[in-house]
Amino acid sequence: MEAIQAAFRDIIDGVRLAPLWLTLGWEQTAARFRRTVLGPFWLTANLLAMAFAISFIFGGLFGNGNWRQTFALTIAGILCWQIVGGYLADASNTFISAGDLMNTMRMPLTFHVCLMMYKNLINFLAQLIALWIVLFLLKLGSIPDISLLLGLPIVLINGALLSMIIAMPATRFRDVQQTIAVSVQILFFLTPVFWAPASMQGKRSIILTLNPFAHLLELIRQPLLGSTPSFVHWEWGIGLMFVLGATAVTMLTLYRKRIVFWL
Amino acid sequence: MSCSVRLDGVTLDYFIYSVKAQSLRNAVFNLAVGGNLYKSQGDVTVVRALENISLDLKEGDRLALVGHNGSGKTSLLKVIAGIYEPQKGVVEVKGNLTSMIAHAAGLDMDASGLQNIRKLGAMRLLPKKVVESRIDGIVEFSELGDFVRLPVKTYSSGMMARLMFACATEFEADILVLDEWMGAGDAAFMQKATDRMKGFVDKAQMVILGTHNFHLVELVCNKVIELSAGRAVFYGTTEDWKAWRNG
Repeated sequence: MEAIQAAFRDIIDGVRLAPLWLTLGWEQTAARFRRTVLGPFWLTANLLAMAFAISFIFGGLFGNGNWRQTFALTIAGILCWQIVGGYLADASNTFISAGDLMNTMRMPLTFHVCLMMYKNLINFLAQLIALWIVLFLLKLGSIPDISLLLGLPIVLINGALLSMIIAMPATRFRDVQQTIAVSVQILFFLTPVFWAPASMQGKRSIILTLNPFAHLLELIRQPLLGSTPSFVHWEWGIGLMFVLGATAVTMLTLYRKRIVFWL
Repeated sequence: MSCSVRLDGVTLDYFIYSVKAQSLRNAVFNLAVGGNLYKSQGDVTVVRALENISLDLKEGDRLALVGHNGSGKTSLLKVIAGIYEPQKGVVEVKGNLTSMIAHAAGLDMDASGLQNIRKLGAMRLLPKKVVESRIDGIVEFSELGDFVRLPVKTYSSGMMARLMFACATEFEADILVLDEWMGAGDAAFMQKATDRMKGFVDKAQMVILGTHNFHLVELVCNKVIELSAGRAVFYGTTEDWKAWRNG
């Protein structure tokens, strides 16, 4: 009973340290690009390079004449994928890379997860501006749908919970981290990041209906491109929050004390 | 603000995982073979770092932790700082605690000394204004001069120790937990640090210090706990401890 309370307290204390992870997240992002010429625009460059390469190759393969539409879908897809699934390899490393701090100062585990997730959000927002500029220049831009304001928090909360869940075993068993890194690559192809969901036919469309990442992706990509996500995506997004939340609390209850010894 | 530290029957075990025990394949195979092997897990070594430690500190107390390398000093400091939660026993800490356990812990090597002071202040959740008002004092005490504008990676370990100690004491904490890294400072700095820690009595603050420097113990601390293989072989006042060692 005490352990369950401690688990909830960890989450509450971690979230309440928001002023600290907001400051540190910003500083660490700035530090990452220290002494580079492009600075945070490296993120933008990365996004543009990926999007052009993928829409060039797959635009040709799919024989889709409508290059402009494919490009808008792809660039928004790649951008959104980073906070839907792309961050997971980093996330499994959360406690290992925070090890120094965990060994010198008492901090809720949730704090480290929030910090990691916030850095992802900064990356996302930095590239979002670039996305709008590019789409505007190509005359592909559209006004984002208001539902983004609900979809984005759902995606972020799910991301934080999932990070907490995978970071714990990844600290104890160092194979997990590698497994996640491989899985993320496969998930990138299984999720409609650079292909249109409608073009998936037959039995294989099960990877659309049962892939939680596909639903989370639509919760932010569709509003970004100016449409409202359909009801089923909201159902999945909110349902996942409860499932992941219960799992995260259970794992915190069982393993919270031990993680510092696993480092 | 009042502060106190109470430990009652604290026992701490470390689980040391070898390469084999950190492999998922081994855990899965062991599961498949049966629970028996899983329990032994091959390569998990349990080390009893602390056994049945009790102590009671109140405002103004300055406790020294002494003992050989590996006797449990740092483990005990980490338990008091809340980093490790012991398997058995009670830990009650009242008051605002600052821990500086590892050498250069929490310093960003690429950032300048000033940026690090602001960062350490932020880590203690101090408002920006308070941090700014303390910067002069920290720079002065640490005697870093113009070096505060240079990246911390250019500092010597003694300079890092000065910066850390200055931050730890200027950002007022009720309980200060320090480990041996302080020894990196030179004689003049140690004198200043000693004087400052003695001043803690007047402010009703508490210092818990892990050290090998017996001279420092006599100068600063009023209580001593001597550890050997994780057990407290002595706990009492500094005078009694001196008599105990000589006798």
